Amino acid sequence: MSKKNKIYWFEGVTEKGVKSLLTDENSKYGWLRPQRNRRILVAMMVVGLIAVAMGSYWPTLKTNMNLSGGAEIVIYSVTAIFVIFAVLVGYLFLRISVRGIGDAPNELLDERQIKVRDTSFRYAYYAMGYVVLGLLLLMLFGPELKMFQPEGNDGSYLVIATLFAFSSMPSMVLAWRERDI
Amino acid sequence: MLSLMSRNPEEPVYNRIEEVRAALGLSRQDLADKAGVHYQTIGYLEREEYSPSLVLAIRIAKSLNQEVSELFSLTPFKKGK
Repeated sequence: MSKKNKIYWFEGVTEKGVKSLLTDENSKYGWLRPQRNRRILVAMMVVGLIAVAMGSYWPTLKTNMNLSGGAEIVIYSVTAIFVIFAVLVGYLFLRISVRGIGDAPNELLDERQIKVRDTSFRYAYYAMGYVVLGLLLLMLFGPELKMFQPEGNDGSYLVIATLFAFSSMPSMVLAWRERDI
Repeated sequence: MLSLMSRNPEEPVYNRIEEVRAALGLSRQDLADKAGVHYQTIGYLEREEYSPSLVLAIRIAKSLNQEVSELFSLTPFKKGK
């Protein structure tokens, strides 16, 4: 192994980081390897992404809870930060659970891993097509159905959730499908 | 969605990797290191859940001091051969 830690800017990974995950150097993450645990993580990630998407409705929730003044802002802000932080941690665990295969460059993977990664990207591409279609339909019919309001509930969280989904979908597919990672 | 996630059926490639590897006293990691693949790929090959490329088949055969035709086949090997 060369001493220099090569950075793969396009994939957003480092050589040592990927090799460390591939070779089980981080044994403390072994609990993430079983398929059952990976599937639970994917399910939690989906719930988290839906929670982020529903962020557009948090102001309505806030009103319904009859919160006022400072408490309103604190609860809203803490909830928003917690949900987004939880999704980011979930994304990190998801990448670890699939040994970084979802994001690794070809030269660090063997032929089966490349095939598995490419297949997961193909399914992720299909899945994202449905997610973006749903987003477009919401954008198209949302205003007609009075789903959005100009202040607060403007649908911006839907876009944020879609961007989160876009970056995590290949690893989610990989974590769900593969028996051994 | 579940059917979308199912694997494509591939023509299986039968092999004697596990038998020969065990006879040589090699671990999966040892063979993986020799063949330049991840140890789980050896597991997939031994369970005949993955069909190797010609290059990988040759590398594995060379690592186990076997001919490709002795190690891989499109028909099941007879037991004890």
